[in-house]
Amino acid sequence: MELFEYTASQLSGMLREKKVSAAEVTQSVLDRIEAVDEKVKAYLTVTGEEAKQQAAEVDELLAKGEPLSPLAGIPLAVKDNICTKNVRTSCASKMLGNFVPPYHATVMKKLEGCRPVMVGKVNMDEFAMGSSCETSYFQKTANPRNLDYVPGGSSGGSGAAVAAGEAVLSLGSDTGGSIRLPSAYCGVVGLKPTYSSVSRFGLVAFASSLDQIGPLGRSVEDVAMLYSAICGYDPMDATSAKREYPDFYANLKADVAGKTIGIPEEYFAQGVSEEVQQKVMAAAKVLEGLGATLKTVSLPSTSYALNAYYIISSAEASSNLARFDGVKYGYRTPEYHGLDEMYEKTRSEGFGDEVKRRILLGTFVLSSGFYDAYYKKAKLLQNRIGEEFDQQFESCDLLLTPTAPDTAFKLGENMGDPLKMYAADVCTTTVNIAGLPALSIPCGTAANGLPIGMQLIGPKFSEQTLLNAALAYQQETGCCAVAKL
Amino acid sequence: MLNPNYEVVVGLEVHAELNTESKIYCSCKNAFGLEVNSQCCPICMGMPGTLPTLNMQVVEYAIKMGHALHCNIHRICKQDRKNYFYPDLPKSYQISQFDIPLCETGYLDVLVENPDKSSYQKRFGVTRIHIEEDAGKLLHSANIDGSLVDFNRCGVPLIEIVSEPDFRSSAEAHAYLETIKSILQYLDISDCKMEQGSIRADVNVSVRKKGSKEFGTRVEMKNVNSFSAVVRAIDYEAARQIEVLENGGEIFQETRRWDDAKGENVLLRSKEDSQDYRYFPEPDLPTIVLEQEYVDGIKESIPELPNIKLIRFTQDFGISYDEAQVLLEEPEKCAFFEESVAKKVCSPKIICNWMVGDLTKYLREKKLSLGDTALTVDAFTALLKMIEEGKISNAAGKQVFEVLLTQEHADPAKIVEEKGLAQISDDSALQAVVDQVCEANQKSIQDYKNGKTNALGYLTGQCMKATKGKGNPAKMKELLLEYLQTH
Amino acid sequence: MTIDIQHVAKLAKLRLEEDQAQRFAKDMENIVSMVQQLPDLPDTGALIDPDHPMIFRGDVVEHHYDRKELLANAPQVKAGCVVVPKVVE
Repeated sequence: MELFEYTASQLSGMLREKKVSAAEVTQSVLDRIEAVDEKVKAYLTVTGEEAKQQAAEVDELLAKGEPLSPLAGIPLAVKDNICTKNVRTSCASKMLGNFVPPYHATVMKKLEGCRPVMVGKVNMDEFAMGSSCETSYFQKTANPRNLDYVPGGSSGGSGAAVAAGEAVLSLGSDTGGSIRLPSAYCGVVGLKPTYSSVSRFGLVAFASSLDQIGPLGRSVEDVAMLYSAICGYDPMDATSAKREYPDFYANLKADVAGKTIGIPEEYFAQGVSEEVQQKVMAAAKVLEGLGATLKTVSLPSTSYALNAYYIISSAEASSNLARFDGVKYGYRTPEYHGLDEMYEKTRSEGFGDEVKRRILLGTFVLSSGFYDAYYKKAKLLQNRIGEEFDQQFESCDLLLTPTAPDTAFKLGENMGDPLKMYAADVCTTTVNIAGLPALSIPCGTAANGLPIGMQLIGPKFSEQTLLNAALAYQQETGCCAVAKL
Repeated sequence: MLNPNYEVVVGLEVHAELNTESKIYCSCKNAFGLEVNSQCCPICMGMPGTLPTLNMQVVEYAIKMGHALHCNIHRICKQDRKNYFYPDLPKSYQISQFDIPLCETGYLDVLVENPDKSSYQKRFGVTRIHIEEDAGKLLHSANIDGSLVDFNRCGVPLIEIVSEPDFRSSAEAHAYLETIKSILQYLDISDCKMEQGSIRADVNVSVRKKGSKEFGTRVEMKNVNSFSAVVRAIDYEAARQIEVLENGGEIFQETRRWDDAKGENVLLRSKEDSQDYRYFPEPDLPTIVLEQEYVDGIKESIPELPNIKLIRFTQDFGISYDEAQVLLEEPEKCAFFEESVAKKVCSPKIICNWMVGDLTKYLREKKLSLGDTALTVDAFTALLKMIEEGKISNAAGKQVFEVLLTQEHADPAKIVEEKGLAQISDDSALQAVVDQVCEANQKSIQDYKNGKTNALGYLTGQCMKATKGKGNPAKMKELLLEYLQTH
Repeated sequence: MTIDIQHVAKLAKLRLEEDQAQRFAKDMENIVSMVQQLPDLPDTGALIDPDHPMIFRGDVVEHHYDRKELLANAPQVKAGCVVVPKVVE
């Protein structure tokens, strides 16, 4: 077994036992990137030299016997919408093609103390808008499980890098499913944390009220390890929750016995493939076998959630992306006469079609005369969806649904049909709308050979319960392996 | 002079920069006049991924102003985004407040001066006060093909105070603005430096036939950069609208730009191009929730405000509007006046006269504030008491006063003694002088008796000369008259 | 419903070619008609959430960024300022 194939928790132990050095682990991952990224195209920037430097520092500290975080020396890929000081942060957009932030996102600052080794910045849908990673201005990332297929989006680079062994862990962001969908499509584990539990400072905003940074890895333990390091109150983010967080990694234990798991019927309905339904129900049976109680429940507003999601996220995006105007940073059109032409040409040339589509939708729903009919209506629906979840959590500890209605689709298959593309998010957006934590974990393989993911949803701040249940399932069914490439 | 058949209706939106230490949404210094782009950070420059955090002091200052203007304070309120593109607005939206401002429905009592110097009191409605961030500055230079953007002012905290359309003349608008400014200064929440743009006003003007209940179509005026310009801008715009209407024309809802140098305004944009700001709740900032106790506590910290003082001073102390305005110019001066009155050793009127006259003149000449001088309330009132009691003359008082301004711990009585400034009020001493002067000026006595009453003035002058100016003029006059009657 | 896509584009400072505009308009109309199926919920007034109140920042001046660093990403800089096309207002 090559070093890049191990999980973070395994490597963490090996590093402490001095069986390997951080330099060797990092080199193994850098070599893997060198070997397969030509095919996978997960990386936008590889920071090899810095990574080697960081790994050497970890080795020095290990040699001195300094107390270190379990993350120390673990190769990490960071989604390219998370600001990294002095390292280009492009959001996979022509607009920010040369943008080098003079500041770190809070998560990166927090990680500085834990000393994982950042090996590079990974691809995504442009400004995190998309479900396939195909809207990136720079390149299309392939699904390492089958290179003809998309890795899912928007954190497609994160999912692909972890699945391909091009990183051990990755940070992604999730606005409507952007961590969970690539996790399901690429066959890895991904956690979308409770809204407000991870600071958004330095995450280039798509939809402020829905965005959340979260971890992707090849095991539940790894995801718990990274989540524990990045969560916490941040005075720089006014929406961040002021509360104490336990050490999710240290407290992790396989435990689902006695838990009531709700199965919302709306998620096993038309539009969700038979095969996916079967695999997720089979997984439910596994959990039942581990001592959980299954219960069919109903979340009647689910069918509206996707619409509400597109209204709210596009409205916020239209405002959040207005700052990209060619004035202070980023792309500026080379030729213009006057201010308005500079604005219009810059934005029209700098943004791709999907981004424009959402900016236009968002601008429209906020414009005079339409606000109440669209934006306000969607926000009211958001409250209703939250209430429905709350109601179910009175009698259920967790909910279990498919992560996506189907397995990954082929590259190019859904381009040009936004509604079909948006349908991939039908199972995930409700969770963002309600601000809940949700975890996607592989639950088998479809006939086409592609992975299927299931989604565990919990009440706010129930990450430990989610992780413990997922670990129980993982121990029963096995950990995800690196894709053969 | 406006056409007397019309009435002008004015509403004002005042923007005041708050003098907090840091900016409203980031920890950059809130300072004016420093090197371009030296007081900025990724947050106020709107860099990707950055987030705002609200400065508590801004909320407190706005509530202070809200209490001062008798507003309802919304303990629970929110902030909203106002979306528009402009190079001085880095995020391409301004964080402001839309449907729930921090303060709402208040009023302000203002003393308005008539052209004949008389004055009347009027209550003006305050619609709302909300908090928001200022934008940066565009600089223009003939040498550069383009405009330069300085982001230092981005994120400087502002309150916007919106009035009801209650003003019926430019004078009322002016009095209101002066009052708002003095309140901001008394509360010490804004520097109110017009020349630095720290207080600015947008003016809404409409006209209607006298007696009409309906408002006319209002025109908004931008770029009105001083309070005196407000008066000119209102008068100009009212006259323009009346002329249009008198010629059978129509007033359109539009925004016009005031050019104070030319004394005219020009169309900036018509209603059709009015901006669609697409307001929506700021998702980066949660709801503002304040404890009732906190809000009430701020109210208790508010001192008596200058507009109320103005009314009290003119009513209780027999001080004129103009004099009271001078006393109220600075909170420090006003406090000194009130402390002096409270000593009850001399009349409020003489305190006012000396403060408005000699003291203000001295401070202006030397460009000093009261605190820069050595003058104390005790010494000042002791001096005025001596003058009122006739122990020293007014002229001698001025000499003592100059010492009190510059010399620490000076005792006016001692100065009088050292300089020999005490008036001679002693009857026997003065009688001797009168007798002596009268004997030497028999011709004048004869003139007086022949009806040339101004001879008395000459004789008084001679007596003063004989006492080297220290004789009590009133006493002396008394003794002279007695002499004239008995001789 | 039909959407005046060019007006919306103008608000968003985007320029659309005619065929692109038509395509976007159609996409948007589809999405909007989906949204119109949303149920009407009782209007509970302004969109506020007092259960999650804001934590304020103290009025303290902190950290200092170098101007050079802040302007390093700007497309055009002169005299310590960002340069934009000439504007008058």
